[in-house]
Amino acid sequence: MNRFDDELRQALSREEPSPDFTDRVMSRVAELQKREKQGEKMGWLRRLTEFFQPPQLKWMKWAPKMKWAMAGAMAVLLVIAGFGVHHRRENERRRLAEIAEGEHAKEQVMLAMRIASAKLNVAQRKVHGTAGREVESK
Amino acid sequence: MQRADDTLSRAKDGDQTAFADLVREHQAMVFSLSHYFSRDRATAEDLAQEVFIHLYQSLGSIESPAHLKFWLRRVTSHRCIDHARKEYKKRTVSVDDAPEPVAPVEFRDSLMTEALRRIVATLPEKPRLVVTLRYQEDLDPTEIAELLEMPLNTVKSHLRRSLAILREKVTRSLGEIRV
Repeated sequence: MNRFDDELRQALSREEPSPDFTDRVMSRVAELQKREKQGEKMGWLRRLTEFFQPPQLKWMKWAPKMKWAMAGAMAVLLVIAGFGVHHRRENERRRLAEIAEGEHAKEQVMLAMRIASAKLNVAQRKVHGTAGREVESK
Repeated sequence: MQRADDTLSRAKDGDQTAFADLVREHQAMVFSLSHYFSRDRATAEDLAQEVFIHLYQSLGSIESPAHLKFWLRRVTSHRCIDHARKEYKKRTVSVDDAPEPVAPVEFRDSLMTEALRRIVATLPEKPRLVVTLRYQEDLDPTEIAELLEMPLNTVKSHLRRSLAILREKVTRSLGEIRV
């Protein structure tokens, strides 16, 4: 033991807290006891309330702490939903365009067939006319 | 010893007067540990109150008066370190940056005491706690190691380095005194 150790021991000797320290601790203890008793009394009411409450999911307790994560997740969901709607509309537009194109092609085919039919009629009439004249001349 | 045993068992049975006696008996130890660690009376009283409230809630697990003392020292030390960690973000004072007490060359006991307290308060958390437990509670390094759940060599090295810092700082601030 040297002098420095003694100095340190003296410098760090125990001190008393303020005179009302024990009273303050005891009043906090009394408060704590009161709360515990109230908790016991209210226990049956709490259990009854819990019984009628819808079940709470565990993650719901973390919801306030995770508000930014939840906001982010909502934003991602909104973007995905928007993209889905846009994709669906685009598909519908493409399908209608294909139908219209098909109708147009069909009309053109019909027109071509009508023209071909008319031409065939003309040719047939000509063939019949020539054949009738040959029979008469014989 | 018999009386202390009796007080503890009465407190465990819910006797509030006995619990108040336990608080009165140990408040200086708990408060001083917190005070030399935090260097602030109000903070130290708050920390000490928290420790005794925790004790009230854990009375069932206290086996003997010796265990009670050990428990109080351990819980106070942990509370002090937790508190310091919370405060760390607010301000950081290193040993080298800490202002040194101004002192006349002539040595005076009260000045030395105050200087030592101030310099102890500038030590890092764990060395500060080790020094306080060593010199306030007169615990040997083995007991401190057990209390703080720290290897014995770490405790010894904290003590050695802290004492070197304290000597140097005190010599520098109080002049050529025999330390």
